[in-house]
Amino acid sequence: MVIYLKAGGELRSKLQPDVDHFTRRVETEAGKPLSDILIGIGISPAFVAFAFKDGQLKRLDYTPSEGDIITLQPPVSGG
Amino acid sequence: MANGLAGTTLRINLNTGDIRRLPTDEVLYRRWHGGRGITAKILYDEVPRDADPLGPKNIFIVNAGIMSGCYIPAGSKVEFGSVSPLTNGPGDSNMGGHLGPTLKFAGYDLIIFEGVSPKPVYLFIDNETIELRDASGYWGLKSLDCEKKLKDDLGEDFEIATIGPAGENGILFSCITHDFGRQAGRTGQGAVMGSKKLKAIAVRGNKSIQVKDLDSLEKQVTGIILRTQKHPNMVPWQKYGTAFFIQWSNANAVIPAYNFQTTFYEDIDKIDGDQLVEKCLITDKACFGCWMNCGKYTKAVIPGKPEVHLEGPEYETGSLCGSNLGMKDINHVAYINWLLDNLGLDSMSGGGVIAFAMECFQRGLIKEQDLEGHTLKWGSVDDVEHFLDMVAHRRGVGDWFAGGTKRAAAKIGRGSEKFAMQVKGQEMSGYDGRWAPGMLLSYMTADIGAHHNRSWTITVDMAEGRERVEGRAKIVVYLQHIRPLFDTWCICRLFWGELDITPEEIVESLNHITGWGISVDQALRTSEMIWNLNRCHYMERNRDNGRAFDYPPARAWEDKIPSGPGKGKGLSLAQIDQMLDEYYAARGWDKKGNPTRELLQDLGIDYAADNLEKLGFLGEPIPGGIPPVRGEKYKPKAF
Repeated sequence: MVIYLKAGGELRSKLQPDVDHFTRRVETEAGKPLSDILIGIGISPAFVAFAFKDGQLKRLDYTPSEGDIITLQPPVSGG
Repeated sequence: MANGLAGTTLRINLNTGDIRRLPTDEVLYRRWHGGRGITAKILYDEVPRDADPLGPKNIFIVNAGIMSGCYIPAGSKVEFGSVSPLTNGPGDSNMGGHLGPTLKFAGYDLIIFEGVSPKPVYLFIDNETIELRDASGYWGLKSLDCEKKLKDDLGEDFEIATIGPAGENGILFSCITHDFGRQAGRTGQGAVMGSKKLKAIAVRGNKSIQVKDLDSLEKQVTGIILRTQKHPNMVPWQKYGTAFFIQWSNANAVIPAYNFQTTFYEDIDKIDGDQLVEKCLITDKACFGCWMNCGKYTKAVIPGKPEVHLEGPEYETGSLCGSNLGMKDINHVAYINWLLDNLGLDSMSGGGVIAFAMECFQRGLIKEQDLEGHTLKWGSVDDVEHFLDMVAHRRGVGDWFAGGTKRAAAKIGRGSEKFAMQVKGQEMSGYDGRWAPGMLLSYMTADIGAHHNRSWTITVDMAEGRERVEGRAKIVVYLQHIRPLFDTWCICRLFWGELDITPEEIVESLNHITGWGISVDQALRTSEMIWNLNRCHYMERNRDNGRAFDYPPARAWEDKIPSGPGKGKGLSLAQIDQMLDEYYAARGWDKKGNPTRELLQDLGIDYAADNLEKLGFLGEPIPGGIPPVRGEKYKPKAF
């Protein structure tokens, strides 16, 4: 199964995008939660505040589907 | 007129009503960059060291900065400054919205208020027309109500800043409110306005600001806007603002719960960003020149109470008035946010003060008879509403808490100082530093008292090792130089890390505006100069070695985190001392936390060394000399 992960900021350098400036194509097993997929590509889930898909917030226990495009949001301070 | 400046500074004597128009001092701006830089310099030069912060010798500064109002993303800020009644040191606080740009469009860069008005007034500015007007019809109104009435009376196109009853009554953590939800919350600037009988500022302006190279600026900024519109963080930011961060903060054991007793909140799902969007959101809201609109205009609906409208709660208020008070409904958090806004109280210090009082109640240090027959239980919005009314009007024990947690603990005693969660008199932001040592050090050493905006290190703490304190000092120094630059230039900081706009790009914009031709390193050096001047000012007013002011409350080292993913974690006093030693060394200060003459000379503020020397607090020379660079750029380790 293929999904696409996007990230900016400090997360972008860790994600190592290969599709465009922000996006990486990731091959993974179906049924894996996002947190496990992140660990598999060397990103600690602790450095992802939340995931965002189709305009909706997703927790890191979300299980992606084929072709999902998921944005990873880094943690930041308040204003 | 210098590029980037409106050209005129106002000096307003509130004793006499005299209003002087002076050409803005371009040399001063070039050296101190405006915003909090100019504020620091003017406060240092003009306020006598023995001046009561709420007395006539303190001054109150409104500063629109060098980049605010220009063709700059998020160039929306306005900076307020005075000697803080909360910390008794130089204080500043800023807010977004539209006031700063509008002040410059009216032709003014800087306003300095002196003295105390004999009666309540507000400042009216309509381009060339400047008047101190009678505010007796507005005095006593709550902040949001006052803004509405002034807009009704003057016109919707006036930008308004007001204080509420708290500022009028000298509550030391009072804020200034603008645009129905933007606050300059920190350091009690609203109390200083109130002490001067200055209820509000109303501004309308329609002039333009000259910049050095408009073509280059337009080309650069347009490129940034087009680029960042495609940034993956943009849409999440627009949808949630900073409220999304609540869940992460809880999962990673930094959220304050029950007055920082623990860092895990079992009911976090009831007060998080999803709840805010689902239950409270009315519409998104943006400041001047911003394309991110992270502001959330919301409502709070609670049976038996009127539906109220507000902006927020964003992360800081959401945590400090949510988990920190044991609230179990986002509507209750939003309602407390509205109460604080309308009374004119800082929602960060306000959350800290309420939480401290709740823990005092939990421990039997204050009782129902002290609270006019009410309780003050975790999670009770009714209890909070009554308590805040007591504080804002200084009724009974409300008067003790009107000075913030440090002063309240001094009144209550019986060990309460340990859990008055403040540094230098200012309450902590919405992060517990016991398992984030760099964050704790950031609070300890912030020049205006505990405040995350000066330095925020939590992801650094996680990357570097949360139980290690070594090396954290240099990172904090770097962040204390770069983050306050945004407040110096009067632009929003949120788009820096979040949308990958680099410091180099921002300095390039600054150079297009001003023609100064400076580098990021030069800007950081200016920031270091401001930081050290504020340090000297604080020490001159409070008359002790710097180290004496830099310790957190004892909970930071006596209590381990009792629950959640951080259970058992915490720091020792020896580790805290080690961080301070490393921090002072990184800054070129001596072990007592005092700036040295060599450093102050290097920064071009020798006069501060002379003043410290006269008081006996000048730092001892550093063997081998001061570090050539203080606060080297931090490059994060791989996560």
